[in-house]
Amino acid sequence: MGILGLAKLIADVAPSSFKQGEIKQYFGRKIAIDASMSLYQFLIAVRSEGHQLASVDGEPTSHLMGTFYRTIRLVENGIKPVYVFDGKPPDMKSGELEKRAERREDAQKSLEAAEEAGDAAAVDKFNRRLVKVTKKHVDECKELLKLMGIPFIEAPCEAEAQCAAMVKAGLVYATATEDMDSLTFGSPVVVRHLTFSEARKVPVQEYCLQKVLDGLELTQDEFIDLCILLGCDYCDSIRGIGPKRAIELIKQHHNIQTILENIDTKKYIVPEGWMYEKARQLFIEPEIADPKSMELKWSEPDEDGLVKFLCGDRQFSEDRVRNGAKKLNKARSGSTQGRLDSFFKVLPSTNTNNKRKVEEKKPTSNKKGKTNAGGKFRGKPK
Amino acid sequence: MFEARLVQSSILKKILEAIKDLLNEATFECSASGIQLQAMDNSHVSLVSLNLRCDGFDKYRCDRNLSMGINLASMTKIMKCAANDDVMTMKAQDNADTVTFVFESPNQEKVSDYEMKLMNLDQEQLGIPETDYSCTIRIPSAEFARICRDLSQFGESMTISCTKEGVKFSTAGDIGSANIKLAQTYNVDKEEEAIIIDMQEPVSLNFACRYLNSFTKATPLSPQVQLSMSSDVPLVVEYKIGDVGYIRYYLAPKIEEEDS
Repeated sequence: MGILGLAKLIADVAPSSFKQGEIKQYFGRKIAIDASMSLYQFLIAVRSEGHQLASVDGEPTSHLMGTFYRTIRLVENGIKPVYVFDGKPPDMKSGELEKRAERREDAQKSLEAAEEAGDAAAVDKFNRRLVKVTKKHVDECKELLKLMGIPFIEAPCEAEAQCAAMVKAGLVYATATEDMDSLTFGSPVVVRHLTFSEARKVPVQEYCLQKVLDGLELTQDEFIDLCILLGCDYCDSIRGIGPKRAIELIKQHHNIQTILENIDTKKYIVPEGWMYEKARQLFIEPEIADPKSMELKWSEPDEDGLVKFLCGDRQFSEDRVRNGAKKLNKARSGSTQGRLDSFFKVLPSTNTNNKRKVEEKKPTSNKKGKTNAGGKFRGKPK
Repeated sequence: MFEARLVQSSILKKILEAIKDLLNEATFECSASGIQLQAMDNSHVSLVSLNLRCDGFDKYRCDRNLSMGINLASMTKIMKCAANDDVMTMKAQDNADTVTFVFESPNQEKVSDYEMKLMNLDQEQLGIPETDYSCTIRIPSAEFARICRDLSQFGESMTISCTKEGVKFSTAGDIGSANIKLAQTYNVDKEEEAIIIDMQEPVSLNFACRYLNSFTKATPLSPQVQLSMSSDVPLVVEYKIGDVGYIRYYLAPKIEEEDS
């Protein structure tokens, strides 16, 4: 579930660290997609009249539908996606996973209650909360990706950590996920909302880790401690310390040890046997496969294989599947437009004297707004 | 204090026409040596680089370096208020958040000034390395505009290939294909119509037509255009702006994918 309230904190404290854009701006980029996250999204969001899409046997196919069409959308926009699947969850996460299981049970109970009461909206709501990505979903997805010719990678442990390592190694441009802890794992660029439905018109958000750190005025180590204080998946946080207090404390004391020595433990109850050091270790040195040994290959889609896999029992329309395969093939063949920034290096910004100007000029820039999206050249270059 | 006076205000009008297709806003960097602008279009495929030297102005003064973030649509509105024969002066205070345009009619009867708010733009600057290009081609700018317009009817992209015989522009699309070949010509009396090819090595590159069409909006600035190409680097399209400077466009080529 990422880091509690980190996105809001960044938006408040370091608003210049992320920019919003369109999916089209990422043409020609290789992007590592946190597969578990996107599978959840699809299972929850891809529905028809509130029900999951299903095969004739009632097995859900929402994840396949989502993976198929949204991947095509990415590829059509010139993006080269690579999916990264979670391996085994780290031991530290067991607490969090237990909590999630509990919440699921609660939701199950509420669902039954709602069904009895005949409250359709509530039934729908709790149904969505019950969604769980199973091994079967994952395996089906991998098979689908194989048929589509899209590479995927199995992380030994957390997918976000693996994505971060791949971005760091320059293998891909960015991590695409909704989880903010990719930043904590040190992914230099994180893209959110990339796999959202086109119909929702949600702009893609791109976070730049360096700018986040500059904006918060923290080092990466301090940032990790901040995330642990905010609340991560691996250990509890101190009750009574919210985002505002957390960042104040980190700026004052620089790390959790010193904070613990200095805060009033009566007022703020530190969890017993708090494992913050282990959590920190997990963020700094997560279990990952060496990105150097990876070979990413985008190959030709197997059209007949896709039809066989998706149509029939899984009730996909054959025309649409064949059409999708053609789109994948079309995007593969032919030349792609090069990016100018892959030829010329971006100069480090000479913002030393600009900082002052930022404040001075704010009123004007706010009034005018940054209407970057307008104009003739917002489309995908052909 | 920044002040730049240009007798031919129409030059600035033409410059705006030449860049506003590609850019919505841009930062004009003013320094003692002149005015520079560098910006990529939104899709990061092309880049505009404008250089106006201080000695090209009739009067130029810049005490402190100044970055003026300008919304080009707003600036175009203001420039439309100037008559072609007006004398234009741009003025800004140090650290100002506005810039003033003063237009004077030739006989000094009418003086108008327009103040425009500046913006703070956070744009990436690219370092463009000095490159020795394998081919440089000089052709009449109107000819180039015509070629781009004609070929873009056939396909989305065109190939420019330069050999010692000449330069060839070609494209193919659903309706068929098109080829235009130009050979060297030079006539002392009609220098503006010259076609001059300087080639070290033959080069053939593929480019998206729509960007080239946007570049040709600079045609009124100069009778000649220079194309510089080397394999696997962006194309440079340069228009000289009288004695004032130049506008250069860079365009990333289309890349044939290997199987990766």
